[in-house]
Amino acid sequence: MLKYLLVVLSESSAPFCYYEKKPRKNPKRDLLPLKSLEEAVIFALKNNLKVNFLYPDHKLDKAYNALIDEVDHVKIVPFGSRETYPDSILVIESDGFPAAGELKGLRDENIIFRLRKNDLGKLSSRLNLLLMKCKRINLVLMDIEAYGAEDFEQYRRQLETVSDKMLKLSAKKDPPELSVLTDRLALDRMNNCSAGLKHLTVAPDGKLYLCPAFYYGRAGDTLGGIRNDIPIKNRHLLELKYSPICRICDAYHCRRCVFLNKKLTLEVNTPSSQQCRISHIEREASRLYLQKLKEAGGNPVALADIPEIAYGDPFEIVETKKLSIADFKKL
Amino acid sequence: MPTKDPVKIEGKNTWEEGRSKSVTFIVTEDCQLRCKYCYLVGKNKSGRLEFDIAKRAIDYLLREREFITENSVVLDFIGGEPFIEVDLIDRVCDYFKARAFEENHPWFNSYRFSFSTNGLLYHDDGVQRYISKNKSHLSIQITIDGTRAKHDLQRVYPNGQGSYDDVVRNIPRWLEQFPDSSTKVTVSSGDIPFIRESVLHLWKLGIKEVNINVVFEDVWKPGDDERFEEQLVSLADEIINKKLYESYSCSFFSKSLGQPYRDNMNWCGAGKMLAVDHLGNFYPCIRFVGFSLQKRAALMLGNCFDGIDRNRLRSFLTLDMASQSPAECLDCDVASGCAWCQGANYDSADTETIFQRATYLCKMHKARVRANNYFWNKLSRKLHQDLRAQS
Ligand code: SF4
Ligand code: SF4
Repeated sequence: MLKYLLVVLSESSAPFCYYEKKPRKNPKRDLLPLKSLEEAVIFALKNNLKVNFLYPDHKLDKAYNALIDEVDHVKIVPFGSRETYPDSILVIESDGFPAAGELKGLRDENIIFRLRKNDLGKLSSRLNLLLMKCKRINLVLMDIEAYGAEDFEQYRRQLETVSDKMLKLSAKKDPPELSVLTDRLALDRMNNCSAGLKHLTVAPDGKLYLCPAFYYGRAGDTLGGIRNDIPIKNRHLLELKYSPICRICDAYHCRRCVFLNKKLTLEVNTPSSQQCRISHIEREASRLYLQKLKEAGGNPVALADIPEIAYGDPFEIVETKKLSIADFKKL
Repeated sequence: MPTKDPVKIEGKNTWEEGRSKSVTFIVTEDCQLRCKYCYLVGKNKSGRLEFDIAKRAIDYLLREREFITENSVVLDFIGGEPFIEVDLIDRVCDYFKARAFEENHPWFNSYRFSFSTNGLLYHDDGVQRYISKNKSHLSIQITIDGTRAKHDLQRVYPNGQGSYDDVVRNIPRWLEQFPDSSTKVTVSSGDIPFIRESVLHLWKLGIKEVNINVVFEDVWKPGDDERFEEQLVSLADEIINKKLYESYSCSFFSKSLGQPYRDNMNWCGAGKMLAVDHLGNFYPCIRFVGFSLQKRAALMLGNCFDGIDRNRLRSFLTLDMASQSPAECLDCDVASGCAWCQGANYDSADTETIFQRATYLCKMHKARVRANNYFWNKLSRKLHQDLRAQS
């Protein structure tokens, strides 16, 4: 069931996930037309949807702000606009990481941190800085298609270092959350991105897409205009049941990004080896972190222990062992 | 002592079935014929495999031992018509053997070269030289559709003239050289009235194993299933009455057909096989090459320069029956043996996916199951009666 709507207010809105935005041509012309914004807001109101508005780094006209105010929403804004839009989720890019002075004013922030592969070596030091200022950090690893064995190993080591820092912070009253380390502890079932199932996107052209990435990265993949019956062909392939690899997996925190799936494997329901390896490095880091929390006598929010497993990619298992029809029907 | 099973109708398994890597080289997109059902719609003379490209592809396949783990290989040469390029194929085969030997690759001791040909050039000196040189490693399948009427309905020259006579004159020599050969027959809507007599005709020509498929595409007309069933029942009667089951096989009849699904395996081997086109691009099978597809763009796995993109193989290697079939198929009482082709599915799906099974042949399969049941029930009763009479 749809729960929320993403509205990309401008071509140059802060990208919040694995995709790249388009270069900005004309700051005025690249805005979502006001009429489309109105349609999106009314659609959200009629369907009990919360809205996530993705903001550009320039100010919006009054008319836009007024419409946005009519619906329950969250603002996702580029770091540079933090003062214009307080209480928003901030997007920080690893290239163009804020100077120490710029981080000073931050308190209890909710941050999306997009890390370029080139900056992987700086991950733990960057996170160490941010964790002091944040309630929650969502880490997005960019360029994962280019990740190879050495990068995976480096990511593992970086997470190990971060988990030491997290352990220290865990003694605080409200310790910060780091998506790739703490989300898995609080989950006992899949909690993925669910584009097309739980949320849809209104892009700057006023049309609907599975998510912003399908607008920016795959021209022609529109679902058409905003309307009541939204035609998503083969929608069931977005569901966990119809993903032979993911349905046997317990990296519950994994984003299971259908855009990256489509881009790298040509199928929305089939994850790339990079996606699975990275999520399993995180799963293992979460497992070890939980162990350390327990040893330190803390009171982790974890629902259950995370079992130790011998594979780094569930594909290795599915390739040799198919789910039975009876088990498939039970899903 | 167990008596030998007198019923040969189900045929034999092919060489190293399921254990060997099948690599299809599309050596040419040219052909002398313009068969009406041929999936290769855009025949042309420019799509010819260069020797250098074939060499690179072979080098890649031999090098990737950790990834391509099968201990046997079938190099399949198809076209268009492969024997148009027999000299090139000869060089490619020589290169394969030499390299496999140098690399001490297990394939050197376990390979086959396989051909699907229209048979028109079978008598050609070059083809015959190639056959003598590689005979112990060869499988050749000449396609002949049945009686002259049935064959000439589909398998025609560009001017519309049928090719039956030109193929049939080569059959005796082929069977002399490869006595256990089989042929493949493809049935589309217009062919239904000819099925019975065609199978009987092929057997009469000496081709003991006849493999028949109905096409996967959306070609079936109302009533085709009933006409199909009538043909198969009538063929079944003839087989039983004349005891043809003792010497011949026809893939329409199989004991494993028409049960509810027991396992969740994919039917099609796309992705475990590989097809190589004249540019050195790799595909999951020939049905994913551009010329085979009506609606969709080609689906490539990589090429002989950069290798195979393993991410693109993941869907093929994890695809199962349940994830791609409609609920009706999962609950179907007669599902086993109901076939599909991943390439045809991909071409007709609502989105660019291999996870949407086309079921255009649902009624045809059910008709086949009824005729198959009729055949085995009748045959087992007859065998039982014969046994009683003997004792
Ligand atoms: S780790 Fe891989 S298999 Fe598991 S949910 Fe993520 S994408 Fe799916
Ligand atoms: S296509 Fe028809 S016959 Fe085949 S499995 Fe599905 S329901 Fe059964």
